[in-house]
Amino acid sequence: MSRSDHDLRCEEALEILEPYLDGELSASKVPGLRRHLERCAACAAELELAGKIQRELRSLPQPDCPPEVLERVRRAGGGEVVPFAPRRFATSVRIAAAAAVLAVAVGGGVLFFHVQRASDRPSPEEVAQATRQARLAFAYIGKVTRRAGLDVRDDVLVKRLVTPATESVSRSLGGRRSEKEL
Amino acid sequence: MRKPTLFAIALLFLAASSGLAQKVENEPGYFSIQDLDLFPRDKLSVEVNLEGALLRMVVEASRDDPEFSSVIAGLRAIHVQVFPLAGADTGSIRSKIGRAVRLLEDRGWHSTVKVREGGEETYIYLKEADGKIAGLTLLSLEPGDEAVAINIVGRIDPAQIGRLGRHFDIPQLEKVPAGKKPE
Repeated sequence: MSRSDHDLRCEEALEILEPYLDGELSASKVPGLRRHLERCAACAAELELAGKIQRELRSLPQPDCPPEVLERVRRAGGGEVVPFAPRRFATSVRIAAAAAVLAVAVGGGVLFFHVQRASDRPSPEEVAQATRQARLAFAYIGKVTRRAGLDVRDDVLVKRLVTPATESVSRSLGGRRSEKEL
Repeated sequence: MRKPTLFAIALLFLAASSGLAQKVENEPGYFSIQDLDLFPRDKLSVEVNLEGALLRMVVEASRDDPEFSSVIAGLRAIHVQVFPLAGADTGSIRSKIGRAVRLLEDRGWHSTVKVREGGEETYIYLKEADGKIAGLTLLSLEPGDEAVAINIVGRIDPAQIGRLGRHFDIPQLEKVPAGKKPE
């Protein structure tokens, strides 16, 4: 069974919301979207919000092009000057607004990070104290490893060197003694 | 504007603000000796927690000692806890250190020094990342004296750290205490 307009899902409806608002949605899809909007409060709210933003954007002043510019364009083109359609203007403003918000978001994040870093700047006293603390950390590493190193060395000396040497001397002394005794 | 767009912008903001400052907790050589609760915090004789801007400033402040300065320049954090053991429950500390050692091994740290003799215990573990040493953790217990826990995060050359350790003298440096808890 092919999908009918009744089956429109929210994500599909949201996808065609802006073309619908801009009047660019194909006529065949409009009834399905309207039915979906009647049933779905969330998508209807989304439409209302998008419509509100669009109305506000359209209410922004649109400066007129100076007549001398229009005249120059007319001369250069040798024809009629067609003003931009408000709808296209709204779309381009939306894109520009999105780009601006994006730039503010990224720039704001970077700025926030740098401001935070600057406010964390320690005083000279704190730095001097931190330097002593860092030296103290290494001193403790030195102290502990020296102690462990001595233990290891004692262990190695006793088990691997002193004990075998003593045993070897004892054996050789004992051997000689035995030989003498024999 | 659609909700996904707003969400993407919020994500971008977060990425820009937090991505630039990678947390030291995410570094491979980080091992939280604070969270292990090895020693009672209010009874520590020395506690050092150096990271971030303060550590970078230490590099600048110690240019007169090039070796020390170059070691610090490669580090992201230094954490030290020293706990005096006189009159303390050594058994409890010993078992906590044992637990920490197991945790280190579970997390892929490699033991370089392991000494257990006459009640004394010393463990030094190194963490490797991309073929380089990225962290050092030292745990030590000397009955009647003190227990020490150290975690150093960053680019580490053990030989250089060993030389610095021999170079610095604790009795002289222990005049630090006024600021033993800087952060």
